Formats: sequence, C-alpha cells, structure tokens
Amino acid sequence: MSASLLIARHEWRRLAAQPFAWLLAAIVVALMAWQFLLALEGFLELSPKLGSLKDAPGVTDLVAIPLLRSFSNLLMLLVPLVTMRAIASERRAQSLVLLLAGGVGNVRVVLGKYFGAFAFVLVLIVLVAAMPLALGFGTALDYGRLAAALIGLVLFAGALTAIGVLCSAWTAQPALAAAAAFAITSLLAIVDAGARLKGIDNSGINYLALPTHIEPFFRGLVSSIDIVYFLLVAAVALAFAAKRLERLRSVSD
Amino acid sequence: MPTPPVLALDRVSRDLAGRRVVRDLTLTLAKGEVLGLLGVNGAGKSTTLRMIAGVLAPSAGTVRIDGEDLAERAELARRRIGYLPEVPPLHTELTVTEFLAFCARLHGLAREADAAVGRAIERCGLGDVRRRLIGALSKGFRQRVGLAQAILHEPALIVLDEPASGLDPVQTLNLRELVRGLGADHAVVLSTHVLPDVVACCDRVAILHEGVLRHEGSLAGSMSAGIYVRTAKPMKTGDWLALPAVAAAAPAANDGMHWQIRLRDGASASTLAALIVERGVGLEELRAGNAALEETFMAIAAGGATAVAA
Repeated sequence: MSASLLIARHEWRRLAAQPFAWLLAAIVVALMAWQFLLALEGFLELSPKLGSLKDAPGVTDLVAIPLLRSFSNLLMLLVPLVTMRAIASERRAQSLVLLLAGGVGNVRVVLGKYFGAFAFVLVLIVLVAAMPLALGFGTALDYGRLAAALIGLVLFAGALTAIGVLCSAWTAQPALAAAAAFAITSLLAIVDAGARLKGIDNSGINYLALPTHIEPFFRGLVSSIDIVYFLLVAAVALAFAAKRLERLRSVSD
Repeated sequence: MPTPPVLALDRVSRDLAGRRVVRDLTLTLAKGEVLGLLGVNGAGKSTTLRMIAGVLAPSAGTVRIDGEDLAERAELARRRIGYLPEVPPLHTELTVTEFLAFCARLHGLAREADAAVGRAIERCGLGDVRRRLIGALSKGFRQRVGLAQAILHEPALIVLDEPASGLDPVQTLNLRELVRGLGADHAVVLSTHVLPDVVACCDRVAILHEGVLRHEGSLAGSMSAGIYVRTAKPMKTGDWLALPAVAAAAPAANDGMHWQIRLRDGASASTLAALIVERGVGLEELRAGNAALEETFMAIAAGGATAVAA
C-alpha cells in the first residue's frame, strides 16, 4: 500500500473516531435537507403555472442546481473546518514527528492528509447530491446537467481542501488554520467583485475568481479551462504545503 | 570492506534563532552499543536527537545511518531509525493496536505488520491495554506506547529522548531491562537526566554542554575514573597516596572519612578494598558507582571541565 493511501486511510479513521466530524456531517445534512424541502415545496407551488410557459424551467433548474449552488457556498465554510486539524493539530500535539521521522516524504504526507480530508468532503457531497437525485424516481431530471454540476462541485471541493491543508500546515493552531483557509477562499470568491461591478467579466482578475469557474458547471458546461483552474489551485496549494513541511524540518517546531 | 557504524555524526552543527545550539558534534555508534547522552537543560540533547532521527536538518555536517547520508537518502535512512521524542507522538483517538498497526505500515512493514505489533505490545507490556483508546491511558502507558512505536519495525538505530519520563519505579526498572535487551541487537541512543539510568543501561556516555561534546567514552572508563570510599576513621590525602593502588585522592567531605579516589592503571577496586582493610581504618563503604560520572557531569555543567575522552 502506498504511504499516501495509508496516511489517507488513517486520516479517515481518525476523522471517523471524532464526534466533531459526525456532528459536522449531521449539521450539513440537516441544513441542506431543510433547504431542499423548502425548494421542493416552492417548486410544487409553482409547477401548475410553469405548465403554461414555453421552455419552462424544470425541477433540475429550480430545485437541484440551486441546492448544489448553495452547497458550494456552504463548502467554503465547511471545508476549512474539516481540514483545520489535518496537520495543525498534529503539530500542536507534537505527533507530526511520527510522519516526519517515519521514512515518508513530505509530498506523500501532504497527499495522504489531503486525500483523507477530501474523502470526508466527498461523502458530504454524495449525501447532499442524493437529495436531488432522489427526485429521479418521481420526475424527469436533467442528468447531464446534474453530472456537470457534481463534477464542478467535486473539483471546487478539491481545490478548497488543498487550500485548507496548506493553511493547516502553516500554523499549529487549528482554529487559525480554519480562519486562514476561509479568508483565502473568500478572497478568491470576491476577488473580481470590483471588476464585475464595472461590467468587466472577462479579464485576468475574473479568471482568478472561484465563481468564474464553478458557475459554468452549474449551467451544464464542462470546460477544460475550468477543470485546469481547480486542478492548478489544488496542485499549487499542495506544493506549498509540502514546502512548508520541508521548512518544518529545517526549523525547530 | 569494513561495515560502517550504524550511526555516524561528522562535525554536525545546528543553528536555531541565530544561535549555534549544537557545535561540531562528531560521534559514532555501532550495533550492540547503548550510548547515554547526558546534559543539562538546553545543552542541545533534544536537538541532537532530532537531527539523528531525521526530523531536523543539520545546519552543517552529515548524519549517516548505516553509511547512508540522512540528507541524501532520507526516506531509506529514516526507515532504519526508531524515534521516541520527549513527548510521545500518539494519536489519542485510536486504540493501542490500531495506532501501532498504522506505525508498522508507515515504517514499511506489510504482511509482517501484525506480528510486529504483537511483538512490540508484548515487549512493552501493553497486553492488557491493547484495545484501550490511547487517550484513556495513564502517562506511563502512553510512554510505553511511544516506545513500542519506536521499536516495532526492528530499526538498526533506536533513539530515545527521556524515555523514563512519567514512569513509576517498577516501570523504570522494566524500561532499563528493555533498553539493555534492545542494545544487544540494535544501536541505541538514550538521552536522560537520570544518571542511574545511564549506569544501568549504557555502554558509552557522551556529555553535551552548550552544544559542545565535552566528554565521550565508555561507561566503564567514565566510572573507573573515580571510586567513592567511606572509612570509619579519618584519613589524609597523604595516607591515600601512600597506598600503591591510588593515583589521586580528593576529599568528598570535610570530616576526612569521605573520599573520591582515582586508581592507578591496572589497579582494581578489590585491590583498593584489601589495602584499606589492611591499613585498619575501617572500610565502611566502597562504590565504583556513578560518583565519578556524576562528578564529571557536574563539573562540565558548571563549565569547569574541558573535553575529555575516557
């Protein structure tokens, strides 16, 4: 078994052993289920009027995609809470030395931590995605658009998780790591707000912003430039995290 | 081609916060040797151990494990090291067995991991708590779990930083026995403040002070440098020097009845005992114990000793 996979499984096991992770999952599912039911009720009230419209929006447009879009916003707060302990709590408990002295390279330690946290985030995505997908038993869903939205959500979560792991490597305080990750993702979410106010939506600053790249997925567009953006953010964040571990070996922690 | 030593430090230095905390440290350790690393707080012991364990990179010099440069072949070299830091690196939300199984796989053990975990549990006396959460264990048991993770992959070099910390007297005795046992098949570096631990476990002693190696040599050599003697009747320095086995004598108290004696080459403690009895001054106590080591340690700690090789 590769060291990264071993560490990822171990991270998953540690997360599962903590009430915090279960509580977080319960809150997320309850919150999203409440939103889902509200959206569904709104759709049921609106559906008699929709029948008379040409190209009327369906349940995918009015329930599923808004739910997933709302979940993407929640992920910006949620993922830092999942990743904050990944490395910071090990540094605080002085147990990171186990990995640093264990014959496993920095990159593999970071990848293991990343995939362990990402697996937990993926489970949350699956739980939330199951809600709109359940409508497929009673109504016609646009599965293509849903698949695009889910791909975007997974890539988005992957980038956020990498930023979270980087922040967790940067400090020994989990709360500070969460705050820093939230600050960075918030900055990436609003970095082009000024440009957009001036009606500019195709400049370099727009390219840096997270919404520029997640929105096409919600519209059903899977574009390679958006995929590359999320992969690039994740790769850069993980590379910096590995660099940070290298730095920890050269200073007394 | 001769076998390289398990551990070889060559002029290793380390700067922290603009201060040189370890300076030009050169040491070697072979399989079957237990080295006791002594020093007061801030002497550079933990920094040295962290460099040996590959957790901290030296600012200058090289650390070799089995001839492999720790900086160049880090991952390979680190697998040959078992390291117990001052604070045991534990995942408290897991059970003892779960945690050790992870450590075994982390050190590259696959199919033999379960057997290694079982062996380490048995060696460290963790059988009764193997299914307990580490977070629920006492400090002594946590220390033992930390020790188990350091030895379970049978590394060539075992590095122990204050392993007796938090152990009760019975556990301390067991630990000494365990370290001695480990010393038969591995090279062991043991850092401690407790001199009796060194006397009980180690073959060699190194004393660090302000980051500099001030004394290094065999434990027997370090201890035979002086013998503590208590007599029933007072003695003078000249009386001691008149004895053919005595090279030097220094009073350990002002009453003339407590002395630190240095023997001449070839003389033994039993010869000294026979001479004292023959002189009729009443031999009350004679110890080839750690008094000399303690004396050396205290002298170095006070900054009064120069580098010595015993």
